[in-house]
Amino acid sequence: MILALVVVTALGFDFTNGFHDTANAMATSIATKALRPKVAVALSGILNLVGAFLSVEVALTVSNAVVKIQSSNGAPKPELLADGGSALLLIVLAGLVGGIVWNLLTWLLGLPSSSSHALFGGLIGATIAGLGWTGVNWNGDGSKLDGVVGKVILPALLSPVIAGVVAAAGTWLIYRITVGVAKRFTDNGFRWGQIGSASLVSLAHGTNDAQKTMGVITLALIAAGDWTDTKSIPFWVKAACALAIAAGTYLGGWRIIRTLGKGLVEISPPQGMAAESASAAVILASSHLGFALSTTHVATGSILGSGVGKPGAQVRWRVAGRMVAAWLITLPAAAVVGAVMWWIGHLLGDGLGGSIAVFVILLAFATYMFLRSRRTPVDHNNVNDEWEDARPAEREPAGVAS
Amino acid sequence: MHNLGFALEGAWKVLAAGLILGAGLPALFALGIRTLAWGDGGSAEATAGAAPHALGKVLGWVLFAIVLLGVVLGITFIVASGLGKALSFEHVFPTIVDK
Repeated sequence: MILALVVVTALGFDFTNGFHDTANAMATSIATKALRPKVAVALSGILNLVGAFLSVEVALTVSNAVVKIQSSNGAPKPELLADGGSALLLIVLAGLVGGIVWNLLTWLLGLPSSSSHALFGGLIGATIAGLGWTGVNWNGDGSKLDGVVGKVILPALLSPVIAGVVAAAGTWLIYRITVGVAKRFTDNGFRWGQIGSASLVSLAHGTNDAQKTMGVITLALIAAGDWTDTKSIPFWVKAACALAIAAGTYLGGWRIIRTLGKGLVEISPPQGMAAESASAAVILASSHLGFALSTTHVATGSILGSGVGKPGAQVRWRVAGRMVAAWLITLPAAAVVGAVMWWIGHLLGDGLGGSIAVFVILLAFATYMFLRSRRTPVDHNNVNDEWEDARPAEREPAGVAS
Repeated sequence: MHNLGFALEGAWKVLAAGLILGAGLPALFALGIRTLAWGDGGSAEATAGAAPHALGKVLGWVLFAIVLLGVVLGITFIVASGLGKALSFEHVFPTIVDK
C-alpha cells in the first residue's frame, strides 16, 4: 500500500517533470511561430515518449550521487529494509513530494527551474531528516566527479555558461554569414533548422529525465520486496514513466514556455536555431562525457546566449535574474519540503498512516496551486502575447508624499 | 576540492564539443542558406537583381546534407547509448561499439 503511494507519487513527479521541461525544447519554436503551440507540444511529447523507451540502461543508481540509501550495486541499504522497507519508502516518498511541490510552485510563477534539482533536493532533505547529515553524499570520495557538489552544484554553475557561450557564438556566426540575404529565405530556412534541433533536445530529454523516475520506482519496488533484479527495470515501470513524462510534456507548462520564449529575449528564427542547437550539442556532449547537468539550465543559458550574440538584441536581465535566484533556492527549498514531509510521516508512525498523510498533503498543495493558476491562465492561446515587464507601481518621491 | 578539478576538466571538453557541433553545424546551415540564396539570384540575394547560379543550389543542398549527417550522428548517439552501446570515433568514421 505504501509502495503504491510511492509509485503514484513518482509518476506524478515524472508528469510535472514533463510539463516543466516542455519549454526547454519548444519555447523557441513556439515563440518564432516555427510550429503552432499545440503541434510543438505534441511533437515534443512523442519524442519524449520515444526517448524514454530508448533509455534501457539501468538508472537504478541515480540517487547514489547524492544520498546514501543504496549500496553501489543499486540494492537498498539493508539497515533500511527492516519492517518491509517502510523506512526507505518514507524517505523516497517525502523526497518525491518535495520535488513535486517545488516544481508546481515554480510553474505557477512561470520560472524554469531544474526538475532534477527539485528531485535531488527533495531526496536530500528527506534523507537528512531520516538518516542525519551523514546520510548525504556531499562531496564524493575523490575518485571521480561525485556527490552533491560534483554532480549537482558545479554542473549547475558551469552548464548555463557553457551553453550560453556556444549559443552566442552560433548566433553571431549565423548573423554574420547571412547578412544581406532576403528575410523570406533566412526565416523559412532557420525555422526548419529550429524544428530539427528542438526535436533533438526533446529526444535527449526523454532519455535523460524519464530514467531518473524509473530508477526511483524500481528502488522502491526492491525495498518493498516486489522486485529483486538490480540489473533491469520492470517493463511496466518503463512504460508508465514514458507515458507520464510524455503526457506531462503534451500538457505543456505554458507559463514556463512563455517566460523562456518571450520573457528573456525576443527570439527570431536564426537565434532559435542557434539556441536549440547549442542546447542539443551541450546536453549530448555532456552526457557522453558523464558530466551530469540539467536540461533547464542548458536551455536557459542557450537562449540568453542567443540574445547576447545577436547584434542589437535586448536581453531582459531582470527576468534572467529571477530565474537564477530560483535556481539557487531550488535545491534547498525542495530539501526543506522533503524534510518536513518526512517528519510529518515519521510523527504519524512511519507506516501507512504517515504515508497517507503525506500523500494527502501533496494532493491539497497540488489542488491549491492548480486553482491559483486559473486566476491568470496562460495556455496555447496567449502564450505568445507581448511581454510586459511586471513593474512595481511607481513610488512617489518622498518629498511629494503628503 | 577534487570535484572542481574534475568539473573543469569535463567542462572544457563539453565546451569544445559544443562549439564544434552546436555552433559549427548551425553556421554551416547558415552558409547553406546563403548559398541557396546566391543560387536563386534575383531578390533573394544581398545585391538585388543578381543572376541565378545553378551551382549555388547544388552547393547549398550539399551543405544541408552535411548538417543533416551531423544530426543523424547525434540521434545515433542517443539511441546507441540507450541500448548500452557507444559511438567510437577511433577510426575517424563513427562506429558503434560495445561499452
